[in-house]
Amino acid sequence: MMQGVSHKLAMFCRTQTTRATIARGSSLEMEIRRGKFRRSVFLNTLQDSDIQKKIDHEIRMRDGACKLLAACSQRDQALEAAKSLLTCNTRIMAYMSELQRMKEAQVMQRVARRSDGTRSSDAGPMDDRLPCKGKVAISDLRIPLMWKDTEYFKNKGELHRCAVFCLLQVGGEIHDTDMVMVDRTLTDICFDNTIVFSEASPGFELRVELYSCCSEEDYSAGSAPRKLASKLSSSLGRSAGKKLRVAMDPGACSPTSNGGAVTLLLPGHAVAGPKYHLLAHTSLSLSHVQDSFRTHDLSISGNEDCSYWVPLYGSVCCRLAAQPHCMTQQMMSGCLKVKQLGGDPQSWTNVYGVLKGTNLFCYHRQEDMEANVEPAFTIAINKETRIRASEKDPHSKAQSICISNQYGGEEVTHTLSADSHEETHRWMEAFWQQFYDMSQWKQCCDDLMKIELPSPRKPALVTSKQGSLYHEIVIDTSDDISTVTDILTRRMQELELRSQLGTSPPWMSLFEESPGGPRTPRLARHSPRSPHRLPHSPLSPLRCPWPGLLSSDASLTSDSDSPCSTSPCSRHRGWAEPLSSPRFRPRTLSLDAKLSTLRGRGYGGVLQCSCQPPSSSSLGPIPAQCVPQATLSCSSSTSSNSSSEGSHSPSSLDGTPFSRPSSARRSLRNVRAKLDPRNWLQSQV
Amino acid sequence: MSFIPGQPVTAVVQRIEIRKLQHGEHLILGFSIGGGIDQDPGQNPFSEDKSDKGIYVTRVTPGGPAEVAGLMMGDKVMQVNGWDMTMVTHDQARKRLTKKDEDIVRLLVTRKSLEQAVRHSMM
Repeated sequence: MMQGVSHKLAMFCRTQTTRATIARGSSLEMEIRRGKFRRSVFLNTLQDSDIQKKIDHEIRMRDGACKLLAACSQRDQALEAAKSLLTCNTRIMAYMSELQRMKEAQVMQRVARRSDGTRSSDAGPMDDRLPCKGKVAISDLRIPLMWKDTEYFKNKGELHRCAVFCLLQVGGEIHDTDMVMVDRTLTDICFDNTIVFSEASPGFELRVELYSCCSEEDYSAGSAPRKLASKLSSSLGRSAGKKLRVAMDPGACSPTSNGGAVTLLLPGHAVAGPKYHLLAHTSLSLSHVQDSFRTHDLSISGNEDCSYWVPLYGSVCCRLAAQPHCMTQQMMSGCLKVKQLGGDPQSWTNVYGVLKGTNLFCYHRQEDMEANVEPAFTIAINKETRIRASEKDPHSKAQSICISNQYGGEEVTHTLSADSHEETHRWMEAFWQQFYDMSQWKQCCDDLMKIELPSPRKPALVTSKQGSLYHEIVIDTSDDISTVTDILTRRMQELELRSQLGTSPPWMSLFEESPGGPRTPRLARHSPRSPHRLPHSPLSPLRCPWPGLLSSDASLTSDSDSPCSTSPCSRHRGWAEPLSSPRFRPRTLSLDAKLSTLRGRGYGGVLQCSCQPPSSSSLGPIPAQCVPQATLSCSSSTSSNSSSEGSHSPSSLDGTPFSRPSSARRSLRNVRAKLDPRNWLQSQV
Repeated sequence: MSFIPGQPVTAVVQRIEIRKLQHGEHLILGFSIGGGIDQDPGQNPFSEDKSDKGIYVTRVTPGGPAEVAGLMMGDKVMQVNGWDMTMVTHDQARKRLTKKDEDIVRLLVTRKSLEQAVRHSMM
């Protein structure tokens, strides 16, 4: 297993430029040299290789983060990459120091074993009881801010933004929260993450560190800091080495250490990019654990002059909960005979007992417990319980255990008897362990605290502000109508799968047939020239006219008497309505066909530009200008308002002047008209 | 015809009485309206003040009851049968004009020329 050792040595080899470089003669190097010497004597234990694997993993992550940092151009990406870098570095430090400590402990053991006769060793099995471990969860972190009122209320000055995140550490486990952008419009920094540490001892120390980074400076510029950084990284003097050694100790709180120092230690080159600085920190322990929100004080490092400064109120609110294993797991189980004191001396009940939490559950049979049937009865085992072993029954071989509880002033004693001495001893041992755990975990053992497991992370939904396709696709006014068709075709192909699930984007309804309408290819009659026409997929009545391009559906079909489908399009909700049936999906998107029919309908007065077949390039103005002009009424007698061009020319009435739209159409028209703010409605009375 | 928010609106108005005409199964007045507080006032071609969200007459059917009664295109409707029309949505306005049990609508309308006429007559 020397491979693992040599692999570790390679980490500190100078030839590996991406690995850590430590200067000759530094105290750190001496330590490692000494460690090297010692290490050669060891066998690689399982724990070592575990940690080694973790270190390797983190180093790979860190390399990836460095590469990403160097490659990304957007500020958000750079901030995220810098955050992962900081987390990776902290984890590496923690693992390395843990490794160091384990080595030292092993050496101590070995030394003690060697000099067995001369000094007392602790090489024997530990007599001291160890408390059980537990889950510790911290959630709903909230850090209130304290802006100057001139800044906050009057909104003066430019918006100073910082990116912040929290690093939470228990022993060797380090987790980071998501990054939050903070500016003066925020009153609190809220981190929604729930972080669970699975193996924490009751004496845990949860370090909460708040890192922040100014979000405005140009990080790519500034060669001066880089030069300085490279100088520092290439030669670490004795004092710097000592400082780094101190920094490696996870318990040390070093306000001067910042993200910059951490990145200097390990990689051979300085990493350009946004650097996070420690803004505040605090330590939480068992005494802070409670099943509700509590406020704790923060120690703030840094001052107003720092670029990464965020005015903190000085406290942090969070919910710190703990679930010791003795409360959640079965600590002991087995067959027992139970007798209640005061009852018939011969009335022993055979039960299957399960010790869990603050109770000893007694089931009739083991199968009952597995089947989740209610236990026959339950004996409380809590801080008030008294247990003693006694020679109750002179006839039986085994000792019995007496459990006394106070139930509302009355003392109730149960007597347990196991099958053999060993069983009895095991039960007693279990009870003592339980009491010990409860004394160590204190308030966590009163009641089981709820810990919500964080659900698998959903990718952050990036929705555009208004959620409509209109805002997603930018159509230049000089664009051809065919470009638009191309865009739409591409999008449709991208979303092909989605529509199969029945959730194609709402703008697809643009090209959908009306569910009730006849399927005849009406448009084909009007645009024989259209090359895209497929015989069996009429791109007929549009239910939701896309304001940019098209007028109401009735105007687009020749003899459309029932063009308007009855379901209103929820335009105002940003096109959120999914299509119900994939069979209405058209094969091609041929807007040009529609527009030519528009022209054919004699709506020249409405659209100031003429509609040409796709080959021509004069369809540019349509998208921009049609916006305010879209006619919504199905009624042919309603004119549109082409006010954007300045000329208000209501089209001449084609049909009867006093025709009144039918009620169905009118309701649809009303709904549509109401929902689109772009149109200036006109109603005939 | 612009207004100052918070101040009462004053205008020179003309009273127009329109008798509805039976057309098929509907009673019609013979004009079209545009505007409303839920509409975009910038697109109103008739208003002087482009923030005016009032109800304007956008079209008058030739030969219809409205034309006969003297309604003109571009008029701003202030009241209909006593109901205010300066602060209504488009649909509310339409409903007030198309009540089934009313045969006659009495409008108060205003237009620029009225004001000028009054001013001239006072000189």
